[in-house]
Amino acid sequence: MGEVILTMKDIDKSFPGVHALDHVNFEVKRGEVHALMGENGAGKSTLMKVLTGIYQKDSGSITYKGKEVAFHNTREAQDAGIVIVHQELNMVGDLTVAQNIFIGREPRKGFRIDDKKMIEDSKKLFQDLHIEIDPREKMNNLTVGKQQMCEIAKAISHKAEVIIFDEPSAALTEKEIADLFEIIKDLRSKNLGIVYISHRMDEIKVITDRVTVMRDGGYVGTLITAESTKEDIINMMVGRVIYEDPKQHSMVPPNAPVVLKVEHLNAGKMVQDVSFELRKGEILGFSGLMGAGRTETARALFGADPKESGKISIMGKDGQLHEVTINSPQDAVKYGIGYLSEDRRRYGCVVQKSVTENTTLATMEEFTSGLVIQKGKEKQVTEKYIQELATKTPSADQLVVNLSGGNQQKVVIAKWLTRNSEILIFDEPTRGIDVGAKNEIYKLMNRLAAEGKSIIMISSEMTEVLRMSDRIIIMCEGKVTGDIDISEATQESIMDKATRNIN
Amino acid sequence: MKVRKLIALGLCAAMVSTMTVAPVLAEEEAATEEAAAEETTEEEAAEETTEEAAAEETAEEATDDAAAAEDPTAQFEGLVANEAYEFPMMVKSFQSTYWDAAQEGMKMAADELGVTYTAQGPNSESDIADQVNMINTAISADPVGLGLAACDTSSVQDALQTCLDKGIPVVTFDTGIADAPEGSVVCEVATDNVQAGSVAAENMYPAIKDVIANAEGQVIIGEINQDATALNIQQRGTGFIDKMIELIQADGKTVAVTGNEFYVNAATGADADAESADVVIQVAVPAQTTVELCSTEAQAILSQENCIAVFGSNQVAAEGVIAANANLNVLGSDAANGDVIGVGFDAGSIIKGAVQDGTFIGAVTQSPLMMGYYAIYALTAAANGQELVDVPTEGYWYDATNMEDESIAPNLYD
Amino acid sequence: MTRKKKSILSDQRFIVLLVVIILAGIFSILSKEFRQYTTLLSMLDFSYYDLLMAIGVTFPLITGGVDLSIGTGMVCYALIAGTMVRSHGCPVLVAMLLCVVLGVLIGLLNGVLIGVMNLPPFLATLCTCMITRGLGSLYSATPWPTLTQEGGWFHSIFKLTIGTGRSADRYPLGFLWMILLVLLMEFVLNHTKFGRYTIAIGSNKEAAALSGINVKFYHVMVYVVCGLFTGLASIAYAAVTPTVQPGTGAGLEMDAIGGVFVGGVAASGGYGSVLGTFVGIFVIMLLKTGLPYIGLQANWQQIITGIVLIVAVLIDILKEKKR
Repeated sequence: MGEVILTMKDIDKSFPGVHALDHVNFEVKRGEVHALMGENGAGKSTLMKVLTGIYQKDSGSITYKGKEVAFHNTREAQDAGIVIVHQELNMVGDLTVAQNIFIGREPRKGFRIDDKKMIEDSKKLFQDLHIEIDPREKMNNLTVGKQQMCEIAKAISHKAEVIIFDEPSAALTEKEIADLFEIIKDLRSKNLGIVYISHRMDEIKVITDRVTVMRDGGYVGTLITAESTKEDIINMMVGRVIYEDPKQHSMVPPNAPVVLKVEHLNAGKMVQDVSFELRKGEILGFSGLMGAGRTETARALFGADPKESGKISIMGKDGQLHEVTINSPQDAVKYGIGYLSEDRRRYGCVVQKSVTENTTLATMEEFTSGLVIQKGKEKQVTEKYIQELATKTPSADQLVVNLSGGNQQKVVIAKWLTRNSEILIFDEPTRGIDVGAKNEIYKLMNRLAAEGKSIIMISSEMTEVLRMSDRIIIMCEGKVTGDIDISEATQESIMDKATRNIN
Repeated sequence: MKVRKLIALGLCAAMVSTMTVAPVLAEEEAATEEAAAEETTEEEAAEETTEEAAAEETAEEATDDAAAAEDPTAQFEGLVANEAYEFPMMVKSFQSTYWDAAQEGMKMAADELGVTYTAQGPNSESDIADQVNMINTAISADPVGLGLAACDTSSVQDALQTCLDKGIPVVTFDTGIADAPEGSVVCEVATDNVQAGSVAAENMYPAIKDVIANAEGQVIIGEINQDATALNIQQRGTGFIDKMIELIQADGKTVAVTGNEFYVNAATGADADAESADVVIQVAVPAQTTVELCSTEAQAILSQENCIAVFGSNQVAAEGVIAANANLNVLGSDAANGDVIGVGFDAGSIIKGAVQDGTFIGAVTQSPLMMGYYAIYALTAAANGQELVDVPTEGYWYDATNMEDESIAPNLYD
Repeated sequence: MTRKKKSILSDQRFIVLLVVIILAGIFSILSKEFRQYTTLLSMLDFSYYDLLMAIGVTFPLITGGVDLSIGTGMVCYALIAGTMVRSHGCPVLVAMLLCVVLGVLIGLLNGVLIGVMNLPPFLATLCTCMITRGLGSLYSATPWPTLTQEGGWFHSIFKLTIGTGRSADRYPLGFLWMILLVLLMEFVLNHTKFGRYTIAIGSNKEAAALSGINVKFYHVMVYVVCGLFTGLASIAYAAVTPTVQPGTGAGLEMDAIGGVFVGGVAASGGYGSVLGTFVGIFVIMLLKTGLPYIGLQANWQQIITGIVLIVAVLIDILKEKKR
């Protein structure tokens, strides 16, 4: 490890209503791999966005190579030698490798692009990295791993001195990860500073020299990797006081029947052999880190995405479990499942339409006599739910787009209650909703559970999971890694399972 | 006329601005009007340039050489095919019975001469590219000769050059190709459209002669042409206008031509401006060659009180006139009593019906039958190696009295 | 008071209605011939089929799709029905029914291609546009057929003529049917499940699907309804044109689609109204009919129509932005 190349000191950044970064410190030395860790929403990405000029800091200082800097956009950061290798690859699939690497700064010969030089330069880059990729190959024809290598080559071609890897291993196979580590080690030996963001505890131990942990937008501390245990790191990640009381024990009566049973569900890489049971009146929390496959599981269950295999059984009117086939959301709705998407604007409601139209969208049959919609009845039911759920809207005719996030969520809940759904899947029920409204949604969910509805709640917020769930399923990379009762759940045990790579 | 155009454009601009501004900035109405006024001036400048450009376009002078040659059909006397030739015959489409009649003529000639032919053509007359492809395919089979009615004369130039290079004689029928590569077209069998147009004028004039002579103010004669680009329509339209001008002036009246720029510039002999002329010939061309749009144009002309006659220069245009009359009901045969005199062109059940019931006093028919007939004769002669001169076919006047005549009836397709 | 004024001005249908009135005013002032009753009659004659096509295509446009096959489809059905009447002695009533059936069938084909097989609407209907164009020409072979040979009553559906010859009184009866159909379809759009789902699909197809709506079925139905109206349009077309020319029809859909956009359907789908389509079509019809009366050459008509359309769509985009 050499001298410090980058220092971020007392970085502060606020967005309306959120204190995203609270006096964070971070430094990178030449020739080190520095892990940046923290839960979802801890502020890792925001910090890196401030560094590379996507966001502007409110206060604090960034010192790079001995000089104070403030980049206004990624281009400036790039020119100075700080580049990000994103988790989602930013490549144009129909262009060749060389064209992608030099996109936006193509070498030219007169008015013509100098393809020859571009290919030569790319070859040289790959040689330096000991990678074998033909620069003339179309990006689409490469594996994800190779594409990532290209992204790295592109970063280096910017004469980078600090490279930030944002969850680089998420989409890679084990062999590819091994290759990636070789490259990273190689870069380290060339005295570059490397920032490595990852959720995988095992990788952190293998590849990094130091770990900086963030929590809730604040700086927790920095450890030397070799001298720390996995438990040390997890403790730093979760070690906050939880103000809301977590649920102490399950509220579900011990004899409550199972209403939904999922066995060996498979749907792509993100849903592998998922099995679980949901009981009547239960709130079943789905915990895990970003990309753990929770939403994918819900969508596959709901029929929104195709399934490869698996058995789904639902309790019928006779109180017995029956195997059902769910090939489309229509089927799911028929069996009494309602899905409340994490992305309400995109999947949840028709925002340009009124509260009424959204409330009755899934239950049109009940509001039509013959072919004609009974607008009176429609309105009456809508108003009932506005009152019952305390939705804040000037009228039932208000366009949903004009409501706040919490009230939009209530409209979607009303939609499924109108449908009389027995099983509700809440995907990130309080994302983008302010604290006051959050509590209302929580109360509502508890009430629904008490009334006998069964709820699957997908949440990335640890406090939410611990406060709401009767039981918690933990997922990691498409697999169920834990199924624990609330009485046994602790932040540590959940985080341990959520970061457990069980390949 | 020009003033009107400018007013119209200005108003449209104003309207357009109103539409833009009203919902966005409902208050700023005054500003809008100013903007519109400015736009009008700009449009004015633009308009003038366009007109100048259009004026430079000069019409192709149609030559009237029908009289010069002696009977060109004499060259086919005693013709015998040296071999059982097979000719590809490119028609413009299979959509109108016009081309049926042409094929009937081809069949007659083919039977007489002991040759065969295959008729081919695209879906519609506007499928220019399709026809060019068909021509190229036909040429690649090295036929002994090619019969061609080109949908678009400029698009077939390359194909004609290939024929010339390969030594395939081409006989054009129905539509001549003015600027064909030298030597590629050995014979042209086509209606003399200038003559056909003038036939319409000659037969219309007696019916309106007295009305023009006794008119107190200006009178209007309308002409509907389906386009201003096809050579045959150009010649026909101009043939009618020129003959009409000649006839009217012979009786001591002055004439002006207004409307479509092409025809206004192509007409010869107009001696007055639109305001002061005794007779104004208004020429309208629709945006697309459909009956509906021809009808709209005809309606605009016929609804003028001083309109005394109208000529629709092909089937589409003539049917447009008939459609317009369905609501206006002004056409008839008694010009002295205020009927507007209608003259059509070509046949088809609708036009024939109109001639029969007196809506049209008559119409001009081409002879597709004779064109098809002579095209086969010319191709056979060319394949034999004979030198040929062009064969013009005439346009014939028909009315309720001679429709059944043996010489006319076969050409009056449905 | 001022608030009310603002809300009515922000309704595109009202603005378009104003434009219709202004246009009619301009033409009436500039041309005394335009002021005649017969002009109105002719304009209405030629508006029926445009309007019927437009009512139909309003639905695909609301879903964010399009149907390019309506123009050639309409001519195709009229050709086939006309040939049936003329060459095979088919009763006119049966031929009319045939038009509608053909329309529904092609609509179903479009719907299945788009809703079930997920072809882009532009591409799918471009294909059926070509197919119908060729099919009509092929079937009708040579003559220019018409439905109107025998049935005087057939004309009377759209234009009631009392008396004969020059003294006859003519009434645009078709206009009444159009108003009834427009009101009916406006009702369907706003007060039935089909209409509600059409809008939902256009506004947010994903959310509609996740709400358990049979999106495929309704997507197909949207095109079936469009086909049904195209079939009706072909009857109106056969009734007002002397003959039907084979191979034509391409381009007729543009007037209809243009009219719908002038009437305020969102360019990206999601909302629209049949009443808007109704007034929108009359802007197009007025331009088509009126401009020849004031002596404007045909090509200017198209340019001006194009400009009006750009403005109409711009208004929509500006409104979107303001939201």
